[in-house]
Amino acid sequence: MHRNLVRTLFCVMALGLLAVFATACGSSDDDTTSGSPAAEVLAFNLTDAGCDPVDAEAAAGPITFEVENTSSNPDLHELEVLDGETVLGETPDISEGDSGTFTLTLEQGEYTLLCPGGDGDSGTLTVTGELDTESSPEVEESIATYREYLEENTAELVDATEPFVAAVVAGDIAKAKSLYPAARIPYERIEPVAESFGSLDPRIDARENDVPASEFEGFHRLEKALWEEESLKGMTPVAEQLLADVEELAEKVETVELQAVQIANGANELLGEVSASKITGEEERYSHIDLVDFEANVEGSEAAFEAVKPLLDESDNDLSGEIEADFKMVFNSLEPYRTDDGFVPYTELTKADTKKLAVAIDTLAEKLSLVPAAIASAEHE
Amino acid sequence: MSPLTRRRLLTTAGAGAAGLGLGAGGYLIGHETAEAGNDGTGSVTFYGEHQAGIATPAQDRLHFAAFDLLTEDPAELRELMRAWTVAAAEASAGEMVGNVNDVQLAPPEDTGETVGLLPSRLTVTFGFGPSLFEKPGLGLRGKRPAALQPLPPLPADELNPAESGGDICVQACSDDPQVAFHAVRNLARIGRGTVAMRWSQLGFGRTASTSRSQDTPRNLMGLKDGTANIRAEDTEAMEKFVWVGDEGPAWLRGGSYLVTRRIRMLLEVWDRTSLLDQERTIGRHKYSGAPLGRHDEFEPLPLDEEKDGHPVIPPDAHVRLASAKENDGARILRRGYSFTDGVDESLGELEAGLFFISFQRNPEQFVAIQRRLGSFDALNEYIKHVGSALFAVPPGAAPGSYVGEALLS
Repeated sequence: MHRNLVRTLFCVMALGLLAVFATACGSSDDDTTSGSPAAEVLAFNLTDAGCDPVDAEAAAGPITFEVENTSSNPDLHELEVLDGETVLGETPDISEGDSGTFTLTLEQGEYTLLCPGGDGDSGTLTVTGELDTESSPEVEESIATYREYLEENTAELVDATEPFVAAVVAGDIAKAKSLYPAARIPYERIEPVAESFGSLDPRIDARENDVPASEFEGFHRLEKALWEEESLKGMTPVAEQLLADVEELAEKVETVELQAVQIANGANELLGEVSASKITGEEERYSHIDLVDFEANVEGSEAAFEAVKPLLDESDNDLSGEIEADFKMVFNSLEPYRTDDGFVPYTELTKADTKKLAVAIDTLAEKLSLVPAAIASAEHE
Repeated sequence: MSPLTRRRLLTTAGAGAAGLGLGAGGYLIGHETAEAGNDGTGSVTFYGEHQAGIATPAQDRLHFAAFDLLTEDPAELRELMRAWTVAAAEASAGEMVGNVNDVQLAPPEDTGETVGLLPSRLTVTFGFGPSLFEKPGLGLRGKRPAALQPLPPLPADELNPAESGGDICVQACSDDPQVAFHAVRNLARIGRGTVAMRWSQLGFGRTASTSRSQDTPRNLMGLKDGTANIRAEDTEAMEKFVWVGDEGPAWLRGGSYLVTRRIRMLLEVWDRTSLLDQERTIGRHKYSGAPLGRHDEFEPLPLDEEKDGHPVIPPDAHVRLASAKENDGARILRRGYSFTDGVDESLGELEAGLFFISFQRNPEQFVAIQRRLGSFDALNEYIKHVGSALFAVPPGAAPGSYVGEALLS
């Protein structure tokens, strides 16, 4: 059940800006595990007037709020920290005489301190100094692992696109058709990164209805020529441009900046791709090799997940194990459709088949969607 | 972390409570008045002796869903019902579902479409279908009540299996359609990986009154049907006809059996039927709702009365065949909704009708009535039953417990 995992992961967790990270959960007064060891501690009392002190100052970084309820006002039972109108964190309900804590990592700025139910006005928490954003060696390693995967796949993409393009230029329809899937696979594995380069993804991978007719080029223009028009007339410039574009992509990924959270989001996006266009047969509408793309998307998602998994293991081993099991389950769900040279065409799938595949993807994706927030704290600890 | 009420989120987000048309504390007042009107402020307590959504005065809107269980692991089913119970209680109270709703990098647990909306008397009612008891891994065979058998084939059935059956059902009723939809959507999401939705039905208007405080609504035929329905205030009838008693297994006592029938109405045919024939088909005057030959809706049916040698209420009139008197005293609690799902593509006609829901102490009550109706009812010319399902509805849960605990633990 993903829901309980969520609760374990973020009992009291709130993030404002990307640079503002909550690092722990305050659940009771003996919660001493909250926050990183270096957290600055701010102590407050809940009094009938409200928060005491009203205002506070702290240095940027992890801040632990220790709050004791000394009021006799039954409406007064928590302290909240807000950034503008967004609640970044709050204590659990504290009854009279009890105390509670929570920890937030805050960057420089002014935040609102609020003890709702008290007579007094809200106060201001002034945070000064620079947040230490240097990544840990574990984070660096995750990024390096994924970068390697990325570069392997762009290299494979260029290698597989070259003979495909050559076959198109030579007018060899049968050969081009047979080489098409191999070129698609590495691209589908790393699509979210390709999408970060503006017009490069639409040039390489747009479907006919995604772009104005005059801009319809790339893989799917050639797919249409091969399978629907069964003619390669006029396709040479399209093919040559495609090769130039994938080469440009390979160059660009060498210098792309990566963050662990972004890689984890990419794992989600790849499953989103499966749900949105592979499970519906919209991606490869002329060749119907959608299941080839399906598998490639999931492979890419798994690789991205595996890269950031060591960061997740620190905070949630159970989730990590469940996600790995679900990846296996998704791959297994594809097996009945595998053939000697790939997969059955999408058009052979029944509604019951696609429903099974969709349920498998949804099951995995709900859990995978929890990963970015879970590793966000790890990245800056 | 205290649960975020939908109103509180708005307040912290800078939108005043005034936007809700409520003064301060409006929500709290609503929270305590389960019997409040349908202006949105009322909320119905989820926990209790019986599940809410049966004796609750029928709300205006429905979203019903049937799920297939994807696992045979009893622990997973327990976990599902536990999580569903918590979420249903939160939604019923007008709180956001879950605790993680403002973490920038995490998907919010609550899907959000009811933020700023009032509780709107949401009730969420869970039931277990016969097929659930047939999964060997769950080990529920020994706990299956004898009465929980798939409904037998009934006359005039034209059932589509894709719109029938299901292992677990969720009936969400509310006066706001978005609140009902939100409940089903969020439960489906929580259950992802454990259950998959088999079919679902939106109902846009209630067709039954389950309380004396309510007027009898009209169905899509323009008729008042269900005037003689059991009212929740009639506790004697509720005990006798609706709540499972000592005859049932312990886990079901205080629960009920829920029957759904998706009844497609051939409205185009009905609309060109004369007023006289419409009234004789149902056995009531169309506008007043009074029995034929009478003036007041609530007058008893003159079933034995004749005029010019013919019964005043025709032998095949719907009210006669559905009446307790003609069914050996058997009655059921009807709680159905009108639906429309666009166009019947093969006919170019409205895909619309009645999503019939009834609660009864034993499914046999429904079966006996429907056998007669399916065979003889004059209404059969204008309707067909296309979907059908039966569920055993456990009693209500106490806070800290979950619906179905006595069955699953």
